[in-house]
Amino acid sequence: MQSISYNDMQFSVEKRGDRWDIIYQLPDGSSGVAGAGLFARLSESEAGPRALALIKTIFPVGIKSVGPDVTHPITIGDLKIIGPDVTHPNFIYWDKDSVSCPKEL
Amino acid sequence: MEIKGSVALVTGGGNGIGEAVAKHLAKHGAKVAIVDMVQKNVDRVVKDVKDMGGEAIGIQANVTSEADIARAIKGAVEAFGKLNIAVSCAGIIRDGTMLSLDKETGKVSKKLGLDKWQAVIDTNLTGTFLTMRDAAEAMVNGGWEGLLVPISSVNKVGQVGQINYSSAKVADALMPKIIVGEFLMRGIRNIRCVAIAPGYTATPMLTGMNQDALKAILEDVHLGRLVAPEEIASLIGHCVENEALNATTLEITGGLCYPNGIAK
Ligand SMILES: NC(=O)c1ccc[n+]([C@@H]2O[C@H](COP(=O)([O-])OP(=O)(O)OC[C@H]3O[C@@H](n4cnc5c(N)ncnc54)[C@H](O)[C@@H]3O)[C@@H](O)[C@H]2O)c1
Repeated sequence: MQSISYNDMQFSVEKRGDRWDIIYQLPDGSSGVAGAGLFARLSESEAGPRALALIKTIFPVGIKSVGPDVTHPITIGDLKIIGPDVTHPNFIYWDKDSVSCPKEL
Repeated sequence: MEIKGSVALVTGGGNGIGEAVAKHLAKHGAKVAIVDMVQKNVDRVVKDVKDMGGEAIGIQANVTSEADIARAIKGAVEAFGKLNIAVSCAGIIRDGTMLSLDKETGKVSKKLGLDKWQAVIDTNLTGTFLTMRDAAEAMVNGGWEGLLVPISSVNKVGQVGQINYSSAKVADALMPKIIVGEFLMRGIRNIRCVAIAPGYTATPMLTGMNQDALKAILEDVHLGRLVAPEEIASLIGHCVENEALNATTLEITGGLCYPNGIAK
């Protein structure tokens, strides 16, 4: 069995027959099965890195931007809320870190 | 294509029809990626598949998000090395007539909100499009044999109170014709597409409804009962195995008819 600590969550990669299960514990004490019957016939040293890569895909870390969605006009009663002008040169899509983002504005 | 040894991704796999499809395919030897918005349901279904001795991963994702679908497909391929079957079961209803009238004045008192329209179109149509598109991309680039399964509904013929739902489901039903036509045009021969249009099915959504309303529905079903989710799952299993099924939408309704009329 291998333990992996990632993003405040504890995972254990447990052998079952010739396969591996990935079990996780949440900070609130609950647990779940992230994957069952994986990586057939792989050794512990091979299954560990594959499990970590899979965990990172299944449980991504980051901040997700959720709005405003400029393509959907929103109405409140008769009032139509128009999103920002995305063609304006100062408009930035803030959904990923940009390497070109100036350190000082 | 054989189910045994294949890899399937099922959206909406945490409940109802999606759960039945995931379990049916796992029982017959497929490795399954269970994708749903509700983490505790994802966990439950993965655990059930584990207890059956099957192979599964669970991915909490929102099918309306392009990034989430890409992540779900990446997870399936990372876990199992390929992708062969994608079933798009994630779906919602937000029923209401387009206009409601005030009984006394006869004037419009309420309109179907854009939020209800958009949520259903985003989940049932855009979510299915994203799932089919990105699954097909993985299958083409991986050179794997594949089957795409959008889930439509018998209400693709139109249903009052469901302008949003029926509009999405008729579009889902059309997808196999367009997708397979485009595959032929582009020389893509390894992927088929068959949509499924269920009738009233015994998922928690329906079994929990007002029992009188349910009884009224059943009066129009020739079979005299709701379709079982497992029956839909077994039809999808047949679609996997029967490669002559392609570019079409199959209805599975138990013989749902218009009141005193022909079948829908
Ligand atoms: N039950 C019926 O009678 C019936 C009839 C015809 C068609 N259908 C269709 O079959 C499909 C499954 O229906 P069901 O009855 O199993 O419903 P259900 O409510 O039991 O399951 C739907 C699942 O989809 C998930 N989901 C919803 N929105 C999502 C999103 N944005 N991202 C990820 N997951 C999401 C839900 O969490 C749920 O687990 C739907 O597309 C539905 O329209 C159902």
